[in-house]
Amino acid sequence: MGPSNPSGRDVLRDAVRGQRRFVALGSLLGSGHQIGEALVPVLIGIVIDQAVTDSDAGALFLWLAILAVVYVGLALSFRIGAWSGERASVQAEHALRITLVRRVLDPGGGAEEGRLPGALANIATEDAKRVGVVNLALMFGISALMGLLTCAVVLLRTSVLLGLVVLLGTPILLWLGHLLSKPLESRSEAEQERAAHASAVAADLVAGLRILKGIGGESTAIARYRTTSRDSLKATLRAARAQAFQNGMVLALTGCLIAVVALVGGRLAAQGSISLGQLVSAVGLALFLLGPLETLAWVNAEFAQGRASAARIAEVLATPQAVSSGGRSLPQQVRGAVRLSGLSHGGLREMDLDIAPGELLGVVATDPAHAADLLRCLSRQTDPEAGTVELDGVPLRDLDPAELRTSLLVAEHDADLFEGTVRENVTAAVISGADSVSVDTEEAMAAAGVAQVAQTLPDGEDTKVSERGRSLSGGQRQRVALARALAADRPVLVVHDPTTAVDAVTEARIAAGLREIRKGRTTVLVTTSPALLAVTDRVVLLDDGRITDTAPHTELVRRHEAYRAAVLS
Amino acid sequence: MSDTSANANDNKEAMTAAGPDTDEQAPDSRELLPTATGARTRAAVRELVRPRRGLALGSFAVMVAATGVGLLVQPLLGRIVDVVAEGRPPGDVTTPVVLLVLVALAQGGTTALGLTLVSRLGETLLAQLRERFVEKALRLPLEQVEKAGAGDLTARVTRDVSVVAEAVRNALPELARSLLAIVLTLGAMAALDWRFLLAALLAVPVQAHTARWYVRHAVPLYARQRIATGTQQQQLLDSISGAGTVRAFRLEEQHTEHVTRRSSAAVELTLRGVKLVLGFYNRLHVGEFIGLAAVLVTGFLLVRADSVSIGTATAAALYFHSLFAPINAALVLLDDAQSATAALARLVGVADQPDPEPEEAANPHKRREPGTAADGTVTVTGIDHAYEPGRPVLHEVDLTLRAGERVALVGPSGAGKTTLAKLIAGVHAPTSGSIHLTGAGTYGDGLPVALVTQETHVFAGSLAEDLRLARADAGDEELRAALATVEALDWVETLPEGLDTVVGEGGHRLTPAQVQQLALARLVLADPPVAVLDEATAEAGSTGARLLERAADRAVEGRTALVVAHRLTQAAAADRIVVMDGGRIVESGTHDELCAAGGTYASLWEAWSGTRGTVDQPPTQQHRPDTTTTMKDH
Repeated sequence: MGPSNPSGRDVLRDAVRGQRRFVALGSLLGSGHQIGEALVPVLIGIVIDQAVTDSDAGALFLWLAILAVVYVGLALSFRIGAWSGERASVQAEHALRITLVRRVLDPGGGAEEGRLPGALANIATEDAKRVGVVNLALMFGISALMGLLTCAVVLLRTSVLLGLVVLLGTPILLWLGHLLSKPLESRSEAEQERAAHASAVAADLVAGLRILKGIGGESTAIARYRTTSRDSLKATLRAARAQAFQNGMVLALTGCLIAVVALVGGRLAAQGSISLGQLVSAVGLALFLLGPLETLAWVNAEFAQGRASAARIAEVLATPQAVSSGGRSLPQQVRGAVRLSGLSHGGLREMDLDIAPGELLGVVATDPAHAADLLRCLSRQTDPEAGTVELDGVPLRDLDPAELRTSLLVAEHDADLFEGTVRENVTAAVISGADSVSVDTEEAMAAAGVAQVAQTLPDGEDTKVSERGRSLSGGQRQRVALARALAADRPVLVVHDPTTAVDAVTEARIAAGLREIRKGRTTVLVTTSPALLAVTDRVVLLDDGRITDTAPHTELVRRHEAYRAAVLS
Repeated sequence: MSDTSANANDNKEAMTAAGPDTDEQAPDSRELLPTATGARTRAAVRELVRPRRGLALGSFAVMVAATGVGLLVQPLLGRIVDVVAEGRPPGDVTTPVVLLVLVALAQGGTTALGLTLVSRLGETLLAQLRERFVEKALRLPLEQVEKAGAGDLTARVTRDVSVVAEAVRNALPELARSLLAIVLTLGAMAALDWRFLLAALLAVPVQAHTARWYVRHAVPLYARQRIATGTQQQQLLDSISGAGTVRAFRLEEQHTEHVTRRSSAAVELTLRGVKLVLGFYNRLHVGEFIGLAAVLVTGFLLVRADSVSIGTATAAALYFHSLFAPINAALVLLDDAQSATAALARLVGVADQPDPEPEEAANPHKRREPGTAADGTVTVTGIDHAYEPGRPVLHEVDLTLRAGERVALVGPSGAGKTTLAKLIAGVHAPTSGSIHLTGAGTYGDGLPVALVTQETHVFAGSLAEDLRLARADAGDEELRAALATVEALDWVETLPEGLDTVVGEGGHRLTPAQVQQLALARLVLADPPVAVLDEATAEAGSTGARLLERAADRAVEGRTALVVAHRLTQAAAADRIVVMDGGRIVESGTHDELCAAGGTYASLWEAWSGTRGTVDQPPTQQHRPDTTTTMKDH
């Protein structure tokens, strides 16, 4: 889709261009429908004129047959035309949604920086929909213009004066209505937003229901909600009054226009300048004309919204990637030697560290922010401010981030689970058919204590996980996430605080299982849990962003005060 | 961007529906919250309307007047046609035209008034209904909510309330206007000549059949469509908020494919809906033609028989032509009306719940012994508990929490720790056995037992409002003191607007540890004699956990506290440690006693401290009231 740094205009243009055949077909048939609708009042006039006035049965049947043909035509055109337009609109929406998701999930990252997930999901649904609808609006807009044109031709052919009255009067009427209601509209919008507040507050209270009950805050919450609801009601009533006034005004203005058309048409007909049927047609057309004109106003509003939405989408698509892809690649067999030299990033200062292939290393950071900085550098969510991180001698910044993550996995503390069964979550990242597979899923699940989790779940390993794992308890979630990381079986695995919500018995078992299953492969445990640190080969203490000591866990516990404080207090 | 707020709610719903179940329990069978019957729903609406009968009648009368006035337009146009047909002078057109202008003004005025009255009636009823709903919803026993799944209540308060509100705001007035217009227009046609009415009614079978056909197909289709859209939204949220995880595990293609599949399914159903609506319009077009042709033929015959004037025949045709719009509107709105009725039944179902005793609602299973000492001793005697018959999770548990004592509950997952905590907090009633709370009565009407779990939620609004949920009349100084107790005052004061900073949905984002500190500050403000903390510190990562443990210690100071602890250091610092396994209490005593006893706890502690045989000193604690050793609870 288009250029790599698209503007809102590019997004909008591509959305229409991708669906041009459907838009064209829709516009063609939609125009047919509008012309047909315009002809109905004309035909009513003709029937009155030719058949009723002269009592001519032959003419009656002839014109009713013509009316029938017009109806068939307009009904079919509408059916197929509107279907084309709708199809163009939802297909464009779908395409945009996929493009957005691809950008967000791009290995280079960056698109979700500074944006809440809900807001991004909203862009992928609501904004994509609004841009898609531009196709439908375009189709209806073209059709409405054709309807207007038909009206103009018929009216001007009947009488130039009457034609001008209708053709000028209708837009003036709409413009007046718009002008009068504009201040009301903006006020009403602000008030509707306040009105929506009541529902938001109610949803919020219910979402926190358990917490509320835990501290006995129900009565306070109910009283508070009542106040919100009453305020909301007041705002809603003001908005509704404005809306009602606007509706009344539009009705009155429309009635006045019809009176003017009736006055001019009636006088012309009484003078014999136009026929009776033409008078009836003119009144009918004046009423019909409101339809296409309102459609055009709607089209205009949709275009404005579509432009704004397209700009928001373009902004996401054009976000620069957080890390770029270097040109080098890793050796066929990754040994798993990780070297940090002079690494400074965030709170980290000049870290030098050699992690040997196959080592099980513990990292204890006295400040969790420093642990987070280290993890970001290792997973290459960012490139360090100074110094380098190398994997098997290749600096990470020279690697494609996707390729790096195939060899080095950083399993974050707050890793999300996804929809699917427990087992599907564990096997999600298993690279099938890779010759390096040495860990099987069962072993990974056993090592992470998932088997024990499965016992307490209604369908065992086949229990569905929902809400990003929120349907499981914290401890269950962590164990499934850890099993997934182990099953992924990457040459280098960095695990961050994998057992904070797991009880001590299970934690000790997991520590042993983890050591066993990662035997011979580089593993880094970033944690302050003594149970996990006890199984490591050696531990690096990161105090104030610097490495201040390196030794086995038991030795550090014995001799290092700061370490004891960080791990055992 | 006005839609974002509504959508944020959807997201919220998606994220909070079905909150975390505990380790011990995963209820399978859902027992949904009640839904009112059709009769009960109508009765509830009548009850709401009754005090506003005057307003209801008034708005109906004004709407009838507004529609009626509008119907004068076609006969007036007919009179102009007659002026022409009868060859009268052009000046005779003036009178009907002036009348047309007057009719327009009167119609505009009465419509504005009528719509104002209708919305006042509808909105007031809606506000009352939602207030009653929220009140009953917040008072529902937690057990009932959990049985139904938290998603049920959330869906009602978000989707159902907004569906009903939408109907009250748009569909209802529109439907009322359309129906009035249809009925009165048909009446007007009958007034012109009864045979016009007969002709017009020829279209009715087609329209009625079409409407039935549409509703029959539309209701299930739209239900599927809503599900598909919801699933798509959920998948998007899943993939987007888990983007970091997706990238780390190289799941980009997999997730793009998931989104594509879900989105395609939604697209396909949307297009099917479009097809249905278009088929619906197609059939209505047939009805329109039949009716219009019939009215024209009738006019032709009546004019030939000299029963009516050409102007009257014209008025009849124009009447029928003007019926198209309200008929289409009314039929399209049938679908909205149907879903609004269903949503209303779900709201009334909850709003109709009987008022529970306020005290019992908070703590249904606690027997208080008034007049006893104000100490907050909890006595658990021989309780058994099973969430499902035949699958017991607790066996004959006896436990006494002495006043002011801090007891840590330790044990492997599935041991029954959370269940015991919930029973003591009064969330569930034990299957058998009893729980007594002594002396809480002297704390007045305050909450006897507070429960803080690992579940996190920040109530939207200012930080002060959030805290005042625990004690409505707390002054700023009290709030500050509570925050200081849990060591949160420092960061709160660095917030842009201190206590007035807006937090929660759409406000300032807090870290999980900060959110839990707020929960503990609320506990301090609620000031209950007994506090139950269920892994309240688990979500924060290990370093954050330590900070929270300290905050939790200070928050429960002076209270009887039961703390479900995962980190043994937290347990070690408690006055007494109770070890559970397999739904039973297996050990009980102080850290030193249990270490010396060499049982389950001792081996746990060795594994935890990783220093087998070298360290058996628990971390130094500033706060350790003297406690006597006891195993009698076992």
